Amino acid sequence: MSEKKNIIGDHHHPHDHAHSHLPSDPELRVKAVETLLLNKGLIDSKTLDELIDTYENRIGPKNGAKVVAKAWVDPEYKKRLLNDATSAIRELSYQGRQGENMVVVENTPETHNVIVCTLCSCYPWPVLGIPPTWYKSDEYRSRTVREPRKVLLEFGLSLDSKVQVKVWDSTAEIRYLVLPMRPKGTENMDERELAELVTRNSMIGTGLPKEIK
Amino acid sequence: MSRLHDMGGRFGDGLIPVPRDEKNEVTNFEPTFKHKWHSKAWAITLAAGALGEWNLDISRHYRECLPPKDYINFSYYEKWLAALTNLLIDKKLVSLDELKEYVFAAEKGTLRKFSDKDVKIDQRIWLAKDVQKTLGWGGPSIRDTNVNPVFNIGDKVITQNYNPNKDISGGHTRLPKYAMGRTGVIHSYNNNHVFPDKNAHGLGENPLPLYTVEFKSSELWGELAERQNDSVLLDLWEPYLKLFPN
Repeated sequence: MSEKKNIIGDHHHPHDHAHSHLPSDPELRVKAVETLLLNKGLIDSKTLDELIDTYENRIGPKNGAKVVAKAWVDPEYKKRLLNDATSAIRELSYQGRQGENMVVVENTPETHNVIVCTLCSCYPWPVLGIPPTWYKSDEYRSRTVREPRKVLLEFGLSLDSKVQVKVWDSTAEIRYLVLPMRPKGTENMDERELAELVTRNSMIGTGLPKEIK
Repeated sequence: MSRLHDMGGRFGDGLIPVPRDEKNEVTNFEPTFKHKWHSKAWAITLAAGALGEWNLDISRHYRECLPPKDYINFSYYEKWLAALTNLLIDKKLVSLDELKEYVFAAEKGTLRKFSDKDVKIDQRIWLAKDVQKTLGWGGPSIRDTNVNPVFNIGDKVITQNYNPNKDISGGHTRLPKYAMGRTGVIHSYNNNHVFPDKNAHGLGENPLPLYTVEFKSSELWGELAERQNDSVLLDLWEPYLKLFPN
């Protein structure tokens, strides 16, 4: 029964937790653990820099906006995107960590989709980057499944009572992206201009794309 | 029965902390990391995870297992750091004495980073040159197995109640409490995925059919539902479900 030995037990005893030895200032806490791991040769500071730079400057909602804009102008792409989002998104070279299994859900005049993760903070990194603070907040995690319409109102989004709200709780390794409706009056805009209208919130379902003034 | 992280549907939380601009209008802008230490806590968690001593489900379970008073008081990245610290000790990558030594030095202001030549690099270390490759590959949870799904699209199913994790009492599960013992309809079948209830406890991957199941708001919230016809969809593994008795 060697497997049994590997069971990670239930942590019943708070005094056993190593983390209780950490300093009270979170900045010092991180510094202590980081320095220890660096000195033990378990992590590389250049790797940390590369990771942070990647998600601060290269991977973010601009990626998702390009996917959405392409779907708005290219009906064949939209079909592929709704049928197999992972492959369609990979066509634009967005793939990998926290986006291994993508599903795109389409907003229509009848249906409005909203994404949440009630259990932690699951979020489609390759197309949206690292989740914003509100997405990870207790308030968003607890309330969105029970009262999505009230939550959306706080984002300034008021939905007609005839529209059905579908909330997608990311409880497994599927990551969701909302395909918002293309704003009116954008018929003459090209893909690049359209991408500028696509906001992060519109791809989570807590907002709409920018409108043409 | 659940843990604090399983907060879907609970009462008591206030307004969503929606960022607003100087004109008090909702803004989409927010820095990726608000503080330098946020980015560091996040990055060292990813880098330490790449050593291969634990999987994603284990690290999630460690965050969930923080004592309730800590889970409530810690900010997001403090939870990450606390769970990482506990993993480092439990997996023996770091000893408690070493940790205490570094904490002591941090508090005294005598923390010292070794020069590169004094560091003995661990064989498993994640190098900067491999970062993009590893991120691009990700960690797929789909497994090719010969397990066929029991349920069909459109089947009416009822979720497990009380303790979905059959191996470990209070163990990791991805069936939220608000959706336990509820009736829904199979919306789609999404191949076979590593089963977190076992994988989070080192009991193997046990890939099993994963379904998206749709629940009507009225089924989840009764009279409190904002609108009867709204729905919530969850991704649930086969053992969480049984066919609704006709």
